[in-house]
Amino acid sequence: MTVRAGLLLRVALGAALAALLGAGAGAQTPGQDEMNVVDQPGYQPTPEEEQLSGAYEKQEVFFRTTEAPGTIIIDTKGRFLYLVQGNNRALRYGIGVGRDGFTWSGLQKIARKQEWPDWRPPPEMIERQPYLPRFMAGGPGNPLGARAMYLGATVYRIHGTNQPQTIGHAVSSGCFRLVNDDVIDLYDRVPVGTKVIIRQAVAL
Amino acid sequence: MIARRGAALALVGLLSAFVAGCGETPPPTPAIVAPAISTDQLVGKWGFAAYHKDTDRARTAKEAAAQCNRPYVINKGPTGGLMMNLADQKELSELILKAGPDGQTYLGPPGPPGGADDRIVSNVDANSFTTVWVDPDNASRYGTSVYVRCGRR
Repeated sequence: MTVRAGLLLRVALGAALAALLGAGAGAQTPGQDEMNVVDQPGYQPTPEEEQLSGAYEKQEVFFRTTEAPGTIIIDTKGRFLYLVQGNNRALRYGIGVGRDGFTWSGLQKIARKQEWPDWRPPPEMIERQPYLPRFMAGGPGNPLGARAMYLGATVYRIHGTNQPQTIGHAVSSGCFRLVNDDVIDLYDRVPVGTKVIIRQAVAL
Repeated sequence: MIARRGAALALVGLLSAFVAGCGETPPPTPAIVAPAISTDQLVGKWGFAAYHKDTDRARTAKEAAAQCNRPYVINKGPTGGLMMNLADQKELSELILKAGPDGQTYLGPPGPPGGADDRIVSNVDANSFTTVWVDPDNASRYGTSVYVRCGRR
């Protein structure tokens, strides 16, 4: 068994973060596509791996909403993040979301933005993977990817990933992950203060 | 004159036999060199952090020092080695320090220095040390690890 395959088989992430859920958290629903995947710190995907296709590829779509252009709407069930453009249009990005028990809903604002964020594995991850460094400086291969946008005062973020295969699945501790090209694109489009609406499902 | 030439030929023959014989002798056993680092230097509780870019080294060392609320603990093993995790291994293994022929100190399971499960240990002082995995995949994924002692000496 390769190291990578071994990593993928290991159980990932703990439950303590759920207790830290920020204001506005709502009902939880079971994940439809849970992926039992562990973080792979330092792993650098190939450009081919990072190239999404089909529904999860970034694209402009029809999107009917009363929210103002520039608003982010996250559909946790559909695994999409919409950036409202106006005129019933939105940019749609494929995302990975929280595993069963970690999906949440609410209203937040982007409180801070960070290029190449550092990564600190949560305590329960250190317990499961004691060989992990307690801090990993930001850069290629970092599990948080190329950019992070912090949601209000919560511990949650919209961030990149070094695991593009997790897009479309429920894997994280409640954060929302995009492939690095997409998170860089989104990061450049939205300022601090951007309204972020997290919903279990979005009606178009 | 003839006697002197005969003596010279005998000496050449003797030398030839000696040189030929040298080519057939087994290579000398490499001297076992003690690693420059002692096991006791690495025992303790450590703040543990990693980086990939050298420009991040200084701040990573600071972050390591700040991680002593969840330290990486290195104890002595039953045979005098160091109880540590190998890459991606949850269970502890007893590792030993090994002096490499390249002058570097390796830390890994018993065996020749520089094995796939070894890491290179460097920048050792009383309160910190640095490691890099020998295996290229591990080195790429985990980068350079910095350990900073919790409770400085």
